[in-house]
Amino acid sequence: MSVSEALRQGTSEDAVDGVVPSQVALPESADGLARLLADASRRGQHTVLGGGGSKLGWGRPPARIDLAIGTSGLDRLIAHRHADLTVTVQAGMTLVSLNRQLAEHRQFLPIDSAFAAATIGGIVATNDAGPMRHRYGTPRDSLIGVTLAMTDGRIVKAGGTVVKNVAGYDLGKLVSGSHGTLAAIVDATFKLLPIPLASTTLVASYADGKALARDVAALHASQVELTSFDIVSLNQERWILLMRLASSPAATTAQAAEARRLLSSAPTTVNAEEENALWSEHIQAPWAGEGTVVRFSWSPSSLPAVVELLGGVSRHGCQVPVFTGRTIGAGLVRLTGEDSSIAAAITELRASRAVGHVVVLRASRRLKELVDVWGPPTGANEVARVLKRTFDPANILNAGRGPI
Amino acid sequence: MDQRIVDLFREAIGPDAVLTEPVQLVTYECDALPHLRSLPEVVVLPRSAADVQKIVRICDREAVPFVARGHGTGLSGGALPVPGGVIISLARLNRVLDVDIPNRRVTVEPGVTNLEITRQVAPFGYYYAPDPSSQQVCSLGGNIAENSGGAHCLKYGFTVHHILAVEAVLPNGDLVQIGSPLADAPGPDVLGLLVGSEGTLAVVTKAVVRILRKPESVQTLLAAFDSISAAGAAVSEIIAAGIVPAAVEMMDQVAIEAAEAAVHPNFPPADTILIVELDGPSPEVAELFGIVEATCRQTGATRVEIARDEAQRQRIWKGRKAAFAAMGRISPNYYVQDGVVPRTKLPDVLGRIRQLAERESIRIGNVFHAGDGNLHPLICYDERIAGQSALAERVAGEILIYCVEAGGSITGEHGVGADKTEFMPKMFSADSLDVMQSVRDAIDPKRLCNPGKVLPTPRLCGEVPGPYREHPVERAGLAERF
Repeated sequence: MSVSEALRQGTSEDAVDGVVPSQVALPESADGLARLLADASRRGQHTVLGGGGSKLGWGRPPARIDLAIGTSGLDRLIAHRHADLTVTVQAGMTLVSLNRQLAEHRQFLPIDSAFAAATIGGIVATNDAGPMRHRYGTPRDSLIGVTLAMTDGRIVKAGGTVVKNVAGYDLGKLVSGSHGTLAAIVDATFKLLPIPLASTTLVASYADGKALARDVAALHASQVELTSFDIVSLNQERWILLMRLASSPAATTAQAAEARRLLSSAPTTVNAEEENALWSEHIQAPWAGEGTVVRFSWSPSSLPAVVELLGGVSRHGCQVPVFTGRTIGAGLVRLTGEDSSIAAAITELRASRAVGHVVVLRASRRLKELVDVWGPPTGANEVARVLKRTFDPANILNAGRGPI
Repeated sequence: MDQRIVDLFREAIGPDAVLTEPVQLVTYECDALPHLRSLPEVVVLPRSAADVQKIVRICDREAVPFVARGHGTGLSGGALPVPGGVIISLARLNRVLDVDIPNRRVTVEPGVTNLEITRQVAPFGYYYAPDPSSQQVCSLGGNIAENSGGAHCLKYGFTVHHILAVEAVLPNGDLVQIGSPLADAPGPDVLGLLVGSEGTLAVVTKAVVRILRKPESVQTLLAAFDSISAAGAAVSEIIAAGIVPAAVEMMDQVAIEAAEAAVHPNFPPADTILIVELDGPSPEVAELFGIVEATCRQTGATRVEIARDEAQRQRIWKGRKAAFAAMGRISPNYYVQDGVVPRTKLPDVLGRIRQLAERESIRIGNVFHAGDGNLHPLICYDERIAGQSALAERVAGEILIYCVEAGGSITGEHGVGADKTEFMPKMFSADSLDVMQSVRDAIDPKRLCNPGKVLPTPRLCGEVPGPYREHPVERAGLAERF
């Protein structure tokens, strides 16, 4: 099939942040994907790469989109080397589907996503991570190899299929968090983990964020090893601490007892299916209602200051229905109200010394015009921009939308 | 080098920070891969990031190649001097700038040793996880360049997983902050690219590292097996049981013999020795360690010894960590190789290595990180016998081909450096290497930053492959090869 035959007209269903792409392509091979990119480069077509579309609206609003390339035709599991604890998977496979297949060998990729449609390519490109990052890090920490389609039509590899490997430049790291601005991810190889033999979750409730922050500090300094450790605040009224312990059966029980001993508020225990449902609900909470979703981070010791900062945001006339935070200092907040109030709140967050990297993920077009979604550029972004010119000289990939 | 440029260096950072006397320069002619050596013409010893910037700016303006160097313990010739170039030693940037226990991070200059970070935080119950065996003397800057691992990286990952941010001087002299002490800095992971780039993209002048809580409990056992395949089966069973050990190490007969001759760890007689270490919360370690012990016995261990205390644990590790240096007890010279295979291919590849040893009538000892398939074959030879040095080098190269054919890598932790650039095309296509070169050219368009390393280019002049010679730090008993 030639490139032109694979293209179809974009429709309103293909819209990215409200902009309908002129053309849509769903390549079914790495070569097809690479040819599309080379062709788009020659024509200077603004191109957006997408997977399940769950995070495609992130970024600055597009001026125009000439071509949207989807990876739904590249969704195969290439190899699950279960005895080696590695997997190679095409970019278009969803995380949910991948983990379902890995579970047949009692293994999993330790990444969690709020979105059922999220694909491996999109997860790597955004380096988006859920509560499990407390123990396992972000997707870049599990990634050991990539195949990339470059804008000049070449297909290249970096890393490999072994967990330990320092040969050559780690281009997999470079595309992590690149938001589709440098190259298209064709496939990715990850190291995996065995599914823990036992798991339990403790849920503790607090009347205010300060009390919660004290317990977080106590747990942080203890020998309790949590796989997921999250804070939730609902309407700034209820504060909840979620703690997941997963290890061998006796160790899980003993660790839960130790955590219980350290907490000032007696927690309830949630197990089995109820436990998975609880985490699933928790991870979706920031996204589950109307409003703007903002990501930011802080130093763990600044948690009390973050609590105070969020408490003051309503001064601008907006509400804070949900705040979820990882104890390592990364969180999401949903803000509702007038765009101008939310913009003022975001400006305040950016001005605060308690938090950093305030990025607007989901927002109305108007709000995106009021504040830059990415915030001020970093030193790394300046280096990345030099690489962008090398990787994408025609500036077609997510042009003007991404972080670089 | 032009005297004018040497004078520029002296003016920039002071005459006492610029070395040009051959007797001073000889220390810098090689790293811990001494068969690649080349006497530098100039060595500079900056005291600050501003000094590094001044030197790099002169290099940029005058087109002088430069090579950043930590403490010279690298095993791939990454710090090998470049003809006509300058060595930038970061040894004087050796301050610990900040220890932040509540936020679990430490800020250091690149000349601080790996172990010094742990020393700083140990009183608070923390440690810095990556543990290359040269950790007493190797520099953090060198660890960042090489993305160093160690025996415990199976569970804890490599240097790249423990560096939060760096300050670095780019080849054009710009000082940039890459990464962030805070999570989720938006944009491509440039820090992840920089870590492991072997000093070819920037000179790191400061780093913020993550520290971890010291595990509550550590348990170590040593199991003796009659065959590599039985030991390999034990490892497979342990991992299939859902256990991720902190370390899984193996030694074969030649390596055991050498270790016994050198440090007398009193290992039991065995074809293969397996060392398994678990760490973590006490109840977890206690429960899982029982499974590990039972698995070793079920898969045919002829003997299982459990370290009852820290002294016994240290004895086991001493035998393991001394294995490289110990080869000197049973062979006049040896060549340390570093390759990786998928863990399940270990028995096959070790079988091929044994056949190769027989065919070439050369002794090869094997010490490896069995959990992640990282092999360290030790090729024994005698440089006094004509042709043996060349044979050892050829055999070492052939082993790398086995690794690539098994789906592995030409280096797991020592780096490509100046030593293995010719093997890069065995692992990566011309297009892949070309894109990597374009990354380098984008950041270092004048090709001055550690040229000739990592990516294949014609061999450097003055680079004469030769036999292993003991490095001064090894001779002084300060470092071992791992």
